[in-house]
Amino acid sequence: MNRKKIYLVTVLFALVITSCKKQLDVKNPNSPTVDNATTESGIISFAQGGVYEDGFRTLKYGDGIFGLFYSGAVGFHEMMGDVIGAEAANGYINQIGCPDYVILDDGTKVLNPSAPAKQHDFLRSINLNGNQGQNTTYYEWAYMYQLNNVCNTILASVSKASFSGDAAAKKATMTAWAYWWKGFAYARIGSIYYAGIINSTAGATNGNYVTKEAIIAESNADLDKAAAALSGITNVADYSSLLGKLIPDFTQVGNGGILTIDEWKHNINTLKARNILVNTPVATMTTAQWTSVLTLANTGIQQGEKVFTLRSNATNDLLDALSGSVSAKTTATAAGGNTYKLSERFVQDFKAGDKRLANVKQTVTWLGNADRGNIFNTRYTLVDAGVAANNFPSGVIQFSNRNTGGYEMFLVGSFEENELMKAEANIYLSNLPAALASIDKVRNAEGAGLAAVAGTTSSVAVVKEELRKERRIGLAFRGLSFYDARRWGVINDISAGGGRTNAVVISNSAVVSTHATINYNFLDYWDVPDNELAYNPALAGSAPTKNPKQ
Amino acid sequence: MALFCQYAYAQNRTITGTVIGKSDGLPIPGVSVVIKGTRLGTQTSGDGKFSLSVPATAKTLVFTFIGYVKLEVPIESNVVNATLLDDSKLLSEVVVTGSGVATSKTRLGIAVESVTAAQLPATPSASIDQALVGKIPGAQISSVNGNPGQQVNIVLRGINSIQGGTKPLILIDGVQLSATDINAIDLNNIERVEVVQGAAGGTIYGAQGANGVIQLFTKKGKPGSMHVDISSSAGVNTLINSGDVHKAKSMSLVTDASGNILGAASGKPLVFDKTLSYYPENVTWNSLDPLNQNNKPYKNLTYYDHYKEFFKSASTINNSISIYGGAEKIDYNVSASNSYQNTTFKNNGDYKRSNFSANIGIQLFKGLKFRTNTQLIYTQNNLLDQTGRGILYSLNNTRPFANYNYTDPDGNYGSYFGDATGVNGFNPNYNTQYTHSKIAKIDLLQNFNLTYTFPKFVELDVKYGLNYNTNNNTYLIDAQDNNANAGYTQVYLTNYYSAPTITQTGETTKDNASTVFQNLIGTATFRTDFKNDFHLNIPLKTSTQLTYDYRKNVYKDFITYGADAPSYTPFNSSNYLVFKTQYDYVEPFITYGYLVNQKFDYGEYGGISGGFRSDYSSAFGRGSKPFTFPRADAYLRLSSFSFWNDGSLGAIFPEVKFRAAYGEAGIQPGAFQRYVTLSTKNVGGSSAFFLDPNQPNPDLGVEVSKETEIGTDIAIAGLKEGNWLKNFTLSVSYWKRKTDNAIYRVDAAPSTGVGSILQNAFGLSSNGIQVALNFSPYKSKAFSWDFTTNFGRSKSIISSVVGQPVVVTSAAGSSNYVLKAGEKIGQLYGFLMLHKVDEKAPDGTYFIPQSQQGDYVAASNGWVVSKTTKQPFVTSSQYSLGDPNPKFNMSFINNFSFSNIASLSFQVDWVYGSHIYNQTKEWMYRDGISGDYDKSINIDGASGAWTAFYRGVYAQVSRNGTKNYFYEDASFARLRNVSLAVNLHSFFHTKSLKKLQLVFTGRNLVTITKYTGYDPEISSGTGNSAFDRGVDHNTIPNTKTYQLGLNIGL
Repeated sequence: MNRKKIYLVTVLFALVITSCKKQLDVKNPNSPTVDNATTESGIISFAQGGVYEDGFRTLKYGDGIFGLFYSGAVGFHEMMGDVIGAEAANGYINQIGCPDYVILDDGTKVLNPSAPAKQHDFLRSINLNGNQGQNTTYYEWAYMYQLNNVCNTILASVSKASFSGDAAAKKATMTAWAYWWKGFAYARIGSIYYAGIINSTAGATNGNYVTKEAIIAESNADLDKAAAALSGITNVADYSSLLGKLIPDFTQVGNGGILTIDEWKHNINTLKARNILVNTPVATMTTAQWTSVLTLANTGIQQGEKVFTLRSNATNDLLDALSGSVSAKTTATAAGGNTYKLSERFVQDFKAGDKRLANVKQTVTWLGNADRGNIFNTRYTLVDAGVAANNFPSGVIQFSNRNTGGYEMFLVGSFEENELMKAEANIYLSNLPAALASIDKVRNAEGAGLAAVAGTTSSVAVVKEELRKERRIGLAFRGLSFYDARRWGVINDISAGGGRTNAVVISNSAVVSTHATINYNFLDYWDVPDNELAYNPALAGSAPTKNPKQ
Repeated sequence: MALFCQYAYAQNRTITGTVIGKSDGLPIPGVSVVIKGTRLGTQTSGDGKFSLSVPATAKTLVFTFIGYVKLEVPIESNVVNATLLDDSKLLSEVVVTGSGVATSKTRLGIAVESVTAAQLPATPSASIDQALVGKIPGAQISSVNGNPGQQVNIVLRGINSIQGGTKPLILIDGVQLSATDINAIDLNNIERVEVVQGAAGGTIYGAQGANGVIQLFTKKGKPGSMHVDISSSAGVNTLINSGDVHKAKSMSLVTDASGNILGAASGKPLVFDKTLSYYPENVTWNSLDPLNQNNKPYKNLTYYDHYKEFFKSASTINNSISIYGGAEKIDYNVSASNSYQNTTFKNNGDYKRSNFSANIGIQLFKGLKFRTNTQLIYTQNNLLDQTGRGILYSLNNTRPFANYNYTDPDGNYGSYFGDATGVNGFNPNYNTQYTHSKIAKIDLLQNFNLTYTFPKFVELDVKYGLNYNTNNNTYLIDAQDNNANAGYTQVYLTNYYSAPTITQTGETTKDNASTVFQNLIGTATFRTDFKNDFHLNIPLKTSTQLTYDYRKNVYKDFITYGADAPSYTPFNSSNYLVFKTQYDYVEPFITYGYLVNQKFDYGEYGGISGGFRSDYSSAFGRGSKPFTFPRADAYLRLSSFSFWNDGSLGAIFPEVKFRAAYGEAGIQPGAFQRYVTLSTKNVGGSSAFFLDPNQPNPDLGVEVSKETEIGTDIAIAGLKEGNWLKNFTLSVSYWKRKTDNAIYRVDAAPSTGVGSILQNAFGLSSNGIQVALNFSPYKSKAFSWDFTTNFGRSKSIISSVVGQPVVVTSAAGSSNYVLKAGEKIGQLYGFLMLHKVDEKAPDGTYFIPQSQQGDYVAASNGWVVSKTTKQPFVTSSQYSLGDPNPKFNMSFINNFSFSNIASLSFQVDWVYGSHIYNQTKEWMYRDGISGDYDKSINIDGASGAWTAFYRGVYAQVSRNGTKNYFYEDASFARLRNVSLAVNLHSFFHTKSLKKLQLVFTGRNLVTITKYTGYDPEISSGTGNSAFDRGVDHNTIPNTKTYQLGLNIGL
């Protein structure tokens, strides 16, 4: 009996102490592995999610105050373009657009109260690896290189994957998609950073920094590759069906939708025209360059053509209706009531009688913190979904719409941008009537309700001013304002012909100046972010990674 | 059956007696009295008396009690008295943690600390973690948040892992407690606690033991008649504010000639819109005007004392009952308890916990024992803001003229009163009105233990523990459609759903998380005694331990929300207009391993042991090879040798032992840290993949932590004559450890398209010393005084980093830590303000160029400021501010006992050299809210409460940037515990009442510190973080508690 018990117990213990190595084979049951992205449906899922999520939404650093790419990185442009201001200090957004000084109507000179007080120095002082997500200049770089990496990954997968149906058409569509977004990523990088990296390998990089001009050249090369891929497509049905899966279904309304092959090519040409226009100061643009801009714009986005857009949906999958865009963050019941404050200089650029102005509301004057300069004080805010009288969509465009799906955001180009590039080229190519016609066309498209300017003037200066105003108002919140301020020389020091006079500025004691002078004095191209340089130092022979301007 | 028959026919008789202590002659309550060779027995009552029915066959009684030498007394008459000798107590206790086999401390090569239930104070939360603060020499246990249910931070020996934090392994009766938080365990149910702080002992538990081990032993029944213990206590808690944090009584806003605060836009006195609960205009604050002083009284607006309005005293109520006893082959202890706490922040909810436990031991047949221990815990957490940081931040950043108790004509609270009251200020009452939170947590711990002792040599032991936890969290936000203020300001509450308009508010989040953890440990122990077993004249004893240890953890979390509430009430989740499954995650993790450990003891003289542990882990998948880590220890008892024992040394030092140990432990990567996946999301009607910028790494290896410890345990007899200075014991340990390949996220160059990647990037090294000293300053029949002091110091540095220094931002705000080779871990970096105009940077250059030094002067508060702007000088670069970790921590514990009628104990904790970054204050500097603004300073001959200085501190160079100004000495001494217990049962001459004790307890009553925040002990960083320990960012401070308790024993 006793012996049996001992056996029993021993066997029991022995049973317990037997292992099974199979149990260690634990897989992550929550997410697909990278292999899943090599099937047709997997590549499509990745080509969509990678572009929209990695390209514009998710980064290792972040800050909810300025948010993601289209409210944050684009927002910084609008701050430096003096379309909006900010009081919050997150990511130094109250300093990025703070001018050197403002001279009020009474002669008071209000200096930038920050230390360092000059934007060039300030940008250098925050561009440190240790500043992590507080380094304002980090964001655009990181988003765009993530987008580039996603595109490199798509290109590497497409060549290996097998597609059903007209595989060649699908591969070409996918190739065009990847090169198009690569072209966009390089366009953004080359248009704001002094140098960049050309990187065509997924998950890797190189230390060979090249000039911003070389980055723009690479952008154009990628855009050409996209166009070439599109040209090779014969099976339009398979093309459309695939593109319809890449473009989020809830954006396929309004100007968004499945682009025809030609429409896409027109989008490509508009972006190529932008690459030239925004990266050359107007003062040094050559006739050849203007001609190129005009040629490209003439084959750019035509009125009514589909473009790449983004909208919110009920679950805010890609865009948060309340905070995803610059204009949503500028919308409030009363002036100053949201993170971004609408600039008085933006409002003063409306022409009298412009119906679009009704979508901007004057309220109780908002005065921000007295020791952050006066530039952000404002009487205005954006009207959410516009005033009823403006009767959108048949009537006047809305600057802001915070209802679900209400706001149509242009991801890349738009008809209006293309048309105004034509106008500007025509001004400098001495075809004023064509320029004025384009301006009228844009105003009509946006429901401005302004009297036509065509035939009203033969003064270049007047037409230039009409164009300046229309680019400010008609293309507002589309991330182009800083490019314009830069190429028109507004951001230059007053001693170098920059700045702005006759500006509306509200002083700290609520006095409205209408003839104030603003000396912005901003750096034109940012240095390469230190987070990049710390982990990927420049190799010998690289282009300078720092803008020599002091 | 036969056994029972024997007893039925046996002739029983009753033995009575009294047990006293030899040193003081006082009766000792609670002594275990057992008939030798049986499990029959009883305990002495409060007056040291016992009465026991014994069979005629019984020959000897065995008396045991912790702190006294075990005594066997033959039964020669019906009265058996016993006089117990004081043991050199802490040195000979039997412990099991870290050694695997129950071993007297005199035969251990490692340091094991132990605390008995009697030494643990009653805490307001009745939780064990709080009670351990200050009790373990060397350990840094800090109560870092005063809200109910918040965990303590524990560092046992330095920092061994960065991502793994400092949380030690928690065992309960030998099996791992993994799913349940230690603070859910009922303090009343714990008999004793053992702590092994280092890898040398911890490695026998595998990877999980690298941060040290805390083992809890639950109370078991004792043979004898049934006992009933009832205890009940009620307490009052108030917030600690040792730094007198308050809002400035004066203000410096622009006013008219009558002193009315003006609206910035209108220039007229500021008016509150009572319909909108809103100030339509901002104020003007010329904060940087060098002439502006914070010296104006509030005239047209009222100063509300927000702290008076929102901080109140909270209550705690604890009740428990336990019924225990046993017979020869069975013992039982069944207990139930209930604990209630509410918060010191107004209407932030309450926290309730109920514990039930049943611990039953049965001897199935000779040699085979079975034990089942069930613990069932239900916790209901109704706190709206768990850490309290959100609501306290909102309150602290509101200018004091905001009347947050105002309700609009509809009876609603407003949320945002406008920029005039501070852009970061929000009304906590608004949250209270519209949010409801309920976390229902069920914990089950079921341990089974089967032990078979062979007649000789071998003992088999199997333990199986099932630890289950489920958290059902319901967070409800009411629709706020009709709130005038929120509608106007568009500031309203949402959770996962970002409602585009206020009419789309109203949201319910349901978060169901569960953990099922299983731990199976099978151990075979072979023991030999060469003298008794083999009749060899060698005093050698051996023990061999073979253990198989299997753990499986399955964690699941499922979060759904419904949003955009319908317009009617009542409604349920199915009536929401928007639904989403927000999160669905499953994480299985399996690890198992083998331990082999061999020990030799040579007589009383010394011993050695050594072994290894080999572990498999599912993090490495099916084909993985095991990771094997060795350990060894040795001890030598000088006091056992005759040259010592027989001479005068032995009389002075009855016990002297030296010990040394070495151990390695491998810390495995997390379950999926080696597993690369694609992230997924829904984009409208399609499924999309994307890459997480923060990537796992398929090449990750284990982190290896290696530790060496040496130590000594010494008993000193003390004064022979008189009542003073007796029974000294001193334990000292020095330890040194290093971790190779510590895993952490390392940034990647953004151009790779990857944000960061996990890497075995860090080397860590630390060392420290721990000392425990106990003695009786005075001992007599009427009065005894016992004194304990615990000391610990440790230092952890980063010995190597692959690549660039890693900058990490505190989970609490924007303070920067830098993980850099050669520097201490947890080093804060920031901008410097200067004390001298000619101060030099580390590179030898002047911070202020010599030509400009004349523009600056040191103000009366010691900081260098500009003569013209009155703003402080702030360096443009960041420098190390220092290491916030303490230089040492110490505790002093005194117990006084008066003739068994009353006892008084108190504990003082002293933490020296710690620092806190006072981010709470920095934020309160932003809008002129901090009380510091009232303080006058003299700058270059001019005295005043200059706002340019205070605002400049916040704003210069980097607004809210980390600056040495806010890096404060947070050393403190705290009267952690004072407890007065009065035994009343001796006044009642009834046998049924064994205990009637009234206990007054005070906790955290006095704090001495220079720290100017609320509480120098708090930390706002991630709990048990390796580095994020030095920031105070609006964390709810600890509480001061007065508690009255009644303990009844029947």
